[in-house]
Parts: sequence; C-alpha cells; structure tokens
Amino acid sequence: MPQTETYILNMGPQHPSTHGVLRVNLELDGERILRATPMMGYLHRGIEKLLEARTYVQGVPYTDRLDYVSSMNNNFGYCRAVEELAGIEVPERAEYIRVIMAELNRIASHQVFIGSLANDLGASTGMLYTFRDREEILDLFDLVCGARMTFHYIRVGGVARDLPPEFAEKCRKFLDRVPEFTAEYANLLMGNEIFQRRLKGVSRLTPEQALAHNMTGPNIRATGIPFDIRKVDGYSVYPRFGFEVPVGENGDNWDRFQVRFREITESARIVRQALDGLPEGPVMAKFPKMLKPPQGEVFSRTEGTRGELGFYIVSDGTAKPYRVHIRRPSFINMQALDDMCRGYLIGDSVVAFSAIDPLMGEVDC
Amino acid sequence: MFGKGLMTGMGITIRHFFGRKATFCYPEEKLTMTEHFRGGHLTIDYKKCIACQLCAIQCPNQAIKLKVVTDANRKRHLESYVHSMGRCLYCDLCIEGCAPHALSWDKNYEISTWHKEDLVHQVITDEDRAYLADVMARAAANPTPPPAPKAPPKPAAKPATPSPETEVKPGE
Repeated sequence: MPQTETYILNMGPQHPSTHGVLRVNLELDGERILRATPMMGYLHRGIEKLLEARTYVQGVPYTDRLDYVSSMNNNFGYCRAVEELAGIEVPERAEYIRVIMAELNRIASHQVFIGSLANDLGASTGMLYTFRDREEILDLFDLVCGARMTFHYIRVGGVARDLPPEFAEKCRKFLDRVPEFTAEYANLLMGNEIFQRRLKGVSRLTPEQALAHNMTGPNIRATGIPFDIRKVDGYSVYPRFGFEVPVGENGDNWDRFQVRFREITESARIVRQALDGLPEGPVMAKFPKMLKPPQGEVFSRTEGTRGELGFYIVSDGTAKPYRVHIRRPSFINMQALDDMCRGYLIGDSVVAFSAIDPLMGEVDC
Repeated sequence: MFGKGLMTGMGITIRHFFGRKATFCYPEEKLTMTEHFRGGHLTIDYKKCIACQLCAIQCPNQAIKLKVVTDANRKRHLESYVHSMGRCLYCDLCIEGCAPHALSWDKNYEISTWHKEDLVHQVITDEDRAYLADVMARAAANPTPPPAPKAPPKPAAKPATPSPETEVKPGE
C-alpha cells in the first residue's frame, strides 16, 4: 500500500509574482494547498525607529518609502497625525491639493494593481497599457513636486509648494482620458474568458472572515461591506465631494479586481470636483520651525490605497516623537492569504496574493 | 461566444500596433527635466553661500558633511562640502532650508556609478577653492581689529514699579 504525505514548498523570496521579497510556505497535497504561511521580514528597514530618531518634519520623506507606489497617501496619513498632535490648522487650499494628490495617486496605484494582476496571470501586455497611463499621473506629480516616486510633497502643515499654473489644464486633460483608458482595460482584460475564469469564484472570503482578519480597503469592500474611511470618518475635505464606494458581492478575486477598477472612476470624479472648487489662499500653515508638539498621543487613520493607514504617535514634548507605530494595511490584509489559498491550486495562490495587492515595502516596514 | 473577449483584446493590440508610439529612443533622445526636478548632483553658488550650515542640519540622513573656516574679518566660508549621494533621500529639505538660495540640483539624471566610492560627491569646485584662498588672503592682509572687550555687565536695574506684594502704601 503506497503512502502519501504532504509536501512543503517555499514560494519566494525571489519569486517574480511576489511583488518584492515575500516567502510563502505552502503545504501541498498534490496540487492542492493545505496551508499557506506568509514569512515576512526580508525588506525590514525599521522605519518606525527611523522616525523616532528624527524630528517630525524630517520624518515625512521616510513615509514615502512605506508604500512606494502611493507615497502621497502615506505622506497624507503621517502629516494628518502630526497636525492632530500639534494642533496645526491646515489652510483650505492645501487640503484641496492634498485630496487631489491622494486621489491621483490612488488611480496610479490601482493601475499598478491591474497591471501586475494581468502580469501574474500571464498577460504581460496588460501591464504595458496600465503603466503607460500611469506615466501621465507621474508626469503630473513630477511637474508639481519634482519627483516621480517618493514625492515628499504633502508636508506637516500643508503642501510643499503651490500648484504650477499649467497643472489644472494638464490634470483635466488626463481626467478626460479616464473613460477612454478604463474602457480599454475593460476590453483588453475584463472581457477575456481566461482572465474571468482565473478570477471568478476563486479565493472566496465571506464578510465574517474578512472582518475576523481585520481586512480593510478594497479587500473588505469586495466582500460587500462598504467600509471606506473617507465616508466613515469624513476627514479632510472629503465630505464636500460626491462619490460612491464600490462594493462587491461574492468576495472572490473577480470582485477585488472590480472594486479597484471602479474606484479609478470614482477617484477621477473626486479630483474633478476638487479642481473645480479649488479655493485661493496660502498652502502652508504657520507653525514654529522646530515643531514641539505637547505631551500626548494620537492615532490618526486615513484611507490609503490598500486600506486603513493608521499612524500612532506618542510625543514627550521634545522635537522628536517618543514612539511611532504604523498600522500598515498590507501587513494586516496579508493574514487572509491562508484562508484565500486553502483548497485551491498552486497557480491560484499567485492570483490570491496578487488580488490582496500587498506591497512588501509596507508589509515589512 | 467563447473567444469573443479574446478577439476584442486582440483588436486593441492591433489598433495600437499602427497607432502613435508611446516610447522614445532614450540614449539618442533625452527628456528635459521639470523646473523642480530633484535629482543629480548638488551644486552650490559659492559666492552666495553664507556658511550657515542649515542644509546639513535640515538633512534627515546626514548626507551633507561640510567644513567651515572663519577668515580674519570673522566671516565664515565653506572649506569643503561633501554630498554623499548614497545616503541622500532626495527630499529637497536642504534646498528649501537654504536662506540665500545658493543650493540647487543640476538636473542630471544619469548619475549611476560603477563604484560605491564614486557616490561621494565634492560639491566645491577648484574655482571655488581659488576664490576662497583669495578671500582668505585679502582678509588676512586687512584684518578687522578684535572686538573691544565687553563692558562689565551693568547691575540689574530696579523694577520700575514694585510688585504688589512688596508695595507699601503711605500712611499704613
């Protein structure tokens, strides 16, 4: 009587579909996955400790390196936390510019998601189209802040500098193209039967499971829970804009893709409204150059592109934070990988991983 | 119909095959960088610099190392200014901190090097060094006299109005 036993397979850390350096320990029964354990820490840089060794203003460029495809959202989250701690009132124009930048970056980040998901499914053409359109957003950012990644544009108290005069026109031109390129992605990918069959009904999560794993962002919205901090907390100037929160129904990979795909259009709507209502005025609040927030602690959360991005900062009254903790959405969403892989084939683990859309810079911090 | 989506996708690919190119030939054609582009080597306008060292203080990662000399006229000058590009975050805090606007990027984006040591960039040029030697020599030839010794501190002046606790009203 032949005996069979389970097999342990290490996927990664150097694996093209793990978006960085992640090792997933897969326990296999033939081709079926029995257990998937993500092993992290290969990209750990100690950003929390680095922030504690620098002043509040000097810490902002380090948050760029957390989730490096949506740096603006990280800057936004950190600056909001420090402003809440120090009681800084941000000018209205700066708030509008921040929202424009955060939403443009959300579009760029979701384009990376769509591209890399297509690439992981073997359709490398899909990646080229999304990255071509992402370039236009990066060009806009380059115009505004002089960098194409690691922007360091949103600062404590406002934004680094005012928008250049040609920005509004160029941004509108890009927004006019949004329906065009989303239609192109739809025709190129969403109609494709192979693409659909790889995603539909795979890696299903129930709303209860997603809540138990504390998932946030598009991942929890795909299971049907309309949890969006922009709506729930209504921070910054988001309550002034009309936008919808796309939700899925089944909680499978197809819904995760759909939610992000529809968010591109919603983000474009927000940017257009913000551009229309952009007030005049200063873009930087007045506060002492050596910022010393009073003793206390703050937890401030914003809706990053991957979920709830929280910054917990403790101040002891000196120029440097006593403790910084970052609640990284990718890290927490990664927990669900085990539930999403159990019972599916090895090939589906790559898709499940890609559909969570984690970024190793943020997971390992 | 199975395969319809595939055909739509192929249609897009074919349309782009005959469409406008999204790329350009990089080494032959080069992009011009935007006004605020951060990248490349730091350059310093030596005559504008007041050697206040704010750029080095602002730097979150200690990427800037500089030495300051004082001439016979008690004016400060830069002796050396080293930018470690390997440590640099390109965050622009040094340039924004520069009060006389002497620092800037040279907007050269082809800065990769073969060796780690080449990432250490000497910002001050030979021309600047010659200028420094000239200034130092001129100051040495015509030094300002040392400041007069400080007068002894005056005794603390009496407060103009006595505090309410010590106030004694006449007739009490």
